[in-house]
Amino acid sequence: MTDAIEQLYRQAGAQFAPALARLARSVERDAEKARDLEQEMHCALWTSLARFAGQCSLKTWVYRVAHNVAADHVARSVRSPQRVPLEEIEALPSPANVEADAGEALVLGQVGELIRRLPPIDMQVIVLWLEGESAAAIAEITGLSAGAVNVRVHRIKALLASHFQFPETGETP
Amino acid sequence: MTTPPLPGWCDSAPDATFTAPAVCSRQADRFARRIRIRNGIEYAAGALVIALFGASAIAAAVKGEGLIAASLALIVGGTLVILRNLAGRAGNAERLPEEACLAHLRRQYARQYAALRAVPAWYIGPLIPGCVLLYVAVAAGVAEVAGWRAALSGIVQPVAITFGVFGAVALLNWWAAQRIRRDIKRLDALAATSISA
Repeated sequence: MTDAIEQLYRQAGAQFAPALARLARSVERDAEKARDLEQEMHCALWTSLARFAGQCSLKTWVYRVAHNVAADHVARSVRSPQRVPLEEIEALPSPANVEADAGEALVLGQVGELIRRLPPIDMQVIVLWLEGESAAAIAEITGLSAGAVNVRVHRIKALLASHFQFPETGETP
Repeated sequence: MTTPPLPGWCDSAPDATFTAPAVCSRQADRFARRIRIRNGIEYAAGALVIALFGASAIAAAVKGEGLIAASLALIVGGTLVILRNLAGRAGNAERLPEEACLAHLRRQYARQYAALRAVPAWYIGPLIPGCVLLYVAVAAGVAEVAGWRAALSGIVQPVAITFGVFGAVALLNWWAAQRIRRDIKRLDALAATSISA
């Protein structure tokens, strides 16, 4: 049993470790706390895999655990910006990182700042969209409908429209 | 999976790796130890209150101060009820981070809401009978010597402070609970649209 869990854990690590690192750094600006959060995600996943019996794909399981641990971390944070729903945000906020001074780095910094200001569900949708997940996959991970996911994705696209051109495809994203 | 929409986003942290399973096991042990220590401190504080008030109740009973002894015994009883409530709360804290995010968030909010709502009934309420009886006993003792007017005027301030603190704690918790209730309603509305969509 432990071998099977360890194998699943290693498989998840090979596929999703960078995505979880990006998630941790998105929700936690402090590098050391982000590293702790990342480890907390790994350990929550490690513990949870004992309950994994193929109820959903490994990807869905990993992202659910990671995003829920991240949301719990945000809820525990004493000092965090006031949360504003995505539909009430008019423009990308300024990045706190002074090194993000130009072009793509600036926009990534702004997106990171935006993510830290969003309520958990909006934050989860946006980060998963940035990872390239489809609306259907995001809906399965978050529990939202594909329609509710699309509404949020269109909103973030509108906020980013002045910086990037997004290809028009049949499916969102 | 589709093409990541934002250039550069997926380029960061390419070398990230998972924490070794052995480290996770050690961390789980540390977490369990922290919980045990926290519970131990809560029980030790409760035991101290019970020992002090219990000994005082016995001393008062020996001196024939029945009302004081009864009030102190009620405070001991109230503390035991609080300790039982704390044990129940800790036992109910099941963690299932693999739930869909919406369900997980709702469960967390519901748990916080229940905990905040429970403060007056679980943590303040059990101490009130003992406190009330203690003040009545003290006032009655003073009244025997100096009359009820003097007894009541002397007790107004401590009673006001004690129940003012209890009231403020209850009010702050109620206020926080209402905020969480609004969050729960928002999530329920979102879940309803997700189901009907």
